[in-house]
Amino acid sequence: MSQGNMSTSAKPNTNPVVPDELKDSVSISSIDFMIDALGQVLSPVLSPIANLARSNSVWPMTFGTSCCAIEMISVGMSAFDISRFGSEVFRATPRQADMIITAGTITRKMAPALITLYEQMPEPKYVIAMGACTITGGMFNDSYSVVQGVDRIIPVDVFLPGCPPRPEGILDALLKLQQKIRTENYAERRKKLYAQTSVRKVDYDTGRPLEDLIGVVKEDTNAALSSGQEALGDEAKGISPKAEEAKTVATKPVAPKVEVAKPEAAKPEVTTPEVKKVENTKDEAAEKADDKSV
Amino acid sequence: MTDEKPSEAEKPEDKKPEAAKPAEAAKPEAAKPADAAKPDAAKPADAAKPDAAKPAAPAAAAAPKPAAKAPEPVIPATAGKFEQFLKEHGIPCERLPLSLTIETIALSGDVLQAALRLLRNSSEVKLDLLLTVSGVESNDTFDSVYHLWSYSNLDELVIKVLVKKSDVPEGDLPAVPSIANFWAAANWHERETYDLMGIRYANHPYMRRILNPWDWEGYPLRRDYKQLVDSLNDKNPHSMR
Amino acid sequence: MATEIQEIDLKTDEMIINMGPQHPATHGVLRLLLTLDGETVKHTEPVLGHLHRGQEWQGQNRTWFQYQALIDRVDYLSGMFTSWAMARACEEIDGTVVPPRAEYLRVMLSEMNRITSHLLWLGTYLIDLGAMFGFPFYPFREREKLFDLFEEIAGQRMMFNYIRIGGVVRDPKPEWLDKLKRFLDEFPDRIDEYETIVTQNPIFLKRTKDVGILTQAVAKDYGVTGPCIRSSGIPLDLRRTKPYSVYPELKFDVITFDKEGDTWDRYMARILEMRQSIEIIRQCIDKLPSGDIMGKKQMAGMRIKAGEGFSAVESPRGILGCYVISGGGEKALRFRWRNPSFCNLAILPELLKGCPLSDIMAIFGSIDVILPDVDR
Repeated sequence: MSQGNMSTSAKPNTNPVVPDELKDSVSISSIDFMIDALGQVLSPVLSPIANLARSNSVWPMTFGTSCCAIEMISVGMSAFDISRFGSEVFRATPRQADMIITAGTITRKMAPALITLYEQMPEPKYVIAMGACTITGGMFNDSYSVVQGVDRIIPVDVFLPGCPPRPEGILDALLKLQQKIRTENYAERRKKLYAQTSVRKVDYDTGRPLEDLIGVVKEDTNAALSSGQEALGDEAKGISPKAEEAKTVATKPVAPKVEVAKPEAAKPEVTTPEVKKVENTKDEAAEKADDKSV
Repeated sequence: MTDEKPSEAEKPEDKKPEAAKPAEAAKPEAAKPADAAKPDAAKPADAAKPDAAKPAAPAAAAAPKPAAKAPEPVIPATAGKFEQFLKEHGIPCERLPLSLTIETIALSGDVLQAALRLLRNSSEVKLDLLLTVSGVESNDTFDSVYHLWSYSNLDELVIKVLVKKSDVPEGDLPAVPSIANFWAAANWHERETYDLMGIRYANHPYMRRILNPWDWEGYPLRRDYKQLVDSLNDKNPHSMR
Repeated sequence: MATEIQEIDLKTDEMIINMGPQHPATHGVLRLLLTLDGETVKHTEPVLGHLHRGQEWQGQNRTWFQYQALIDRVDYLSGMFTSWAMARACEEIDGTVVPPRAEYLRVMLSEMNRITSHLLWLGTYLIDLGAMFGFPFYPFREREKLFDLFEEIAGQRMMFNYIRIGGVVRDPKPEWLDKLKRFLDEFPDRIDEYETIVTQNPIFLKRTKDVGILTQAVAKDYGVTGPCIRSSGIPLDLRRTKPYSVYPELKFDVITFDKEGDTWDRYMARILEMRQSIEIIRQCIDKLPSGDIMGKKQMAGMRIKAGEGFSAVESPRGILGCYVISGGGEKALRFRWRNPSFCNLAILPELLKGCPLSDIMAIFGSIDVILPDVDR
């Protein structure tokens, strides 16, 4: 196995580094480095045992949208018992589950829920894409509302074809996943943050990937800002947008009222572009906040 | 095993279409006991190959007599029962000869609510099971189709509200009055028709998309709907489709 | 006698809780937005569409031959019924005559499918009520036996693609009929087993008696069909009121209660329907005629004549209807499904008004909703 290479060449890279923002409150003493190094030295011995233990106790989550869910229930029942392979209980909450068997078609409306569930699962987590619908969209190949394969939104470990696959097929997929877990290098997996960064988020209200929507919003705000800027005079162009944003962020609840009240008192030429800019940047800040929270 | 049987019936007719005309005419009598069980297995082949099997068609069609229904819908001789009923109560309607078994009536949007209230509540006609409200797009109209049955008797009725595409202003949706305020079953059906076909129901209590995400763009079941292609459903460049 | 409890005037507010699309108990992905006052439900808004896959769009963009294979997934627990509804609608337009043996086979397999659907409903209903993975092992054992029979005759455990336009696809062998007879001989004892565990169980009674009473006025307003309405006193069963296929020749009872039913009545209606299905299948086996099983040649480019048709069958959930508009081509012009679950789910907000939180699942499970039927 490849763990022999790690101990010799990877040592200098794997020392944990404290980020700049936390340097005044967090410090790592030399004992932490020693324990870390000890773990790395022992891992060729410990990780096969740990992997064996982990693979024999993979607890799935009850995530069944569609027809494949019935076969998943059947595999949990007495005829094709899945608990003899370690999947003793199906956990309803993602916080306690190891694996998610995406049994059933994932539509664009359901995708954000699946992504939220996947992100709520603690590491190490695995995905079995069950059924043709989750592998490539399956029967719903041209459909407008189906995500063509769940690997477009979350990373998948085992693909299980069938429509629906027989319960024995699910057991076969589980055994392959167990084999994969037994031969994996868990430390490498942790380093790469493989699972967290491979998720593609989908917006709930429109059913489109968030990257597209952020692009659209950015374009719209840039267009609005640039068209607003052209209408202004020179003094407006001198005002940098960042200063404006800092001002509005600091005084958010009060700023719109203050700015609207101003035009009667002060010169209209100076204040109206400020009002426009404040609105634009506030909307942009609000939209950015919305996007992040989704 | 069973798939071979119809093809066996097909084969003699396919192989000898024109040459065996008198033989075919004599054959139906001989082939009747064998073919009587498969009259309609022969029919699609006839429909698919009109030129080749035309001489065989009348001979084969003459053999199985009363089992088949007439294929084309014909306007029935008597006026429909519900059409008469509605006209008696002063609602202008028109019978459409579209279906053999169910009476189909076309109404205009403004009399729809009155007509449905009448059909539901009157003592002689109790059509109180609203099965479905559908939206249909044909070449020049958007139809809102109501299927009505009854809980207490065997009546069936189909009501269509036709909105001409030319009557709909550009960028707007065809409008039909909503019946959801007095008939609760229509609530979700009308939302669905709005979602998928884009027919707007006026005075609906909650006109919002029900099956697609709320800010979805477009009406998927229309003929001119272009599927949105983004990273969730773009085709693999190596794909065969 | 008892000391008076002083009621402190607490300031309370309503809470909006999301019973999200993924939940161990929803029959599929349904999202309920509940407005709760304490533990009582004030208002419910079901959010559908998490399984909207565009089946009606597929009807317009697939040929007739292709679409027959795809519609089993519209209501995957009763795939035979969806195929049957489509087949009947197309046969009505086309004028195809279905041979009598095919009709009997259709009825037989559909009733077997009704049994599997009710068994799964029973298992998942008990899971919803909290008997998690304890009771459901029983009905699923019977389902496996029926699945073996289905697999032998149709090739698939769940998505049969067996009933086609014009007939059925494969003929059963005599051994298959013997196996079916043996299953039917032992099945009534199994239903007795389930009833012993569930029907008079005090926990079950407490959770389902006088819970979710469906009045006839509400049911008629919403267009409810199926065991829900039959347990509320309205005897609408398509197999009896508008008989189709060979049902006129079969003797069976329509399970109708004579009062406005609660969830326990709906449970009982389905159990009794399972027993009736056994009788129907027995009669079909005895009366099965010989002959052909397909009335229309199944080929890739098959066409239906131009016209419109609507036909419905009595599925385990209610009236399943199919409205077809054909233009005479290889593809349909419009396929509209009238799904019983979509119409039955609309009564959920009405039934849940004023109920405590724990009754939500009891009521929702008893309506027997399957989500692809709702969302298509």
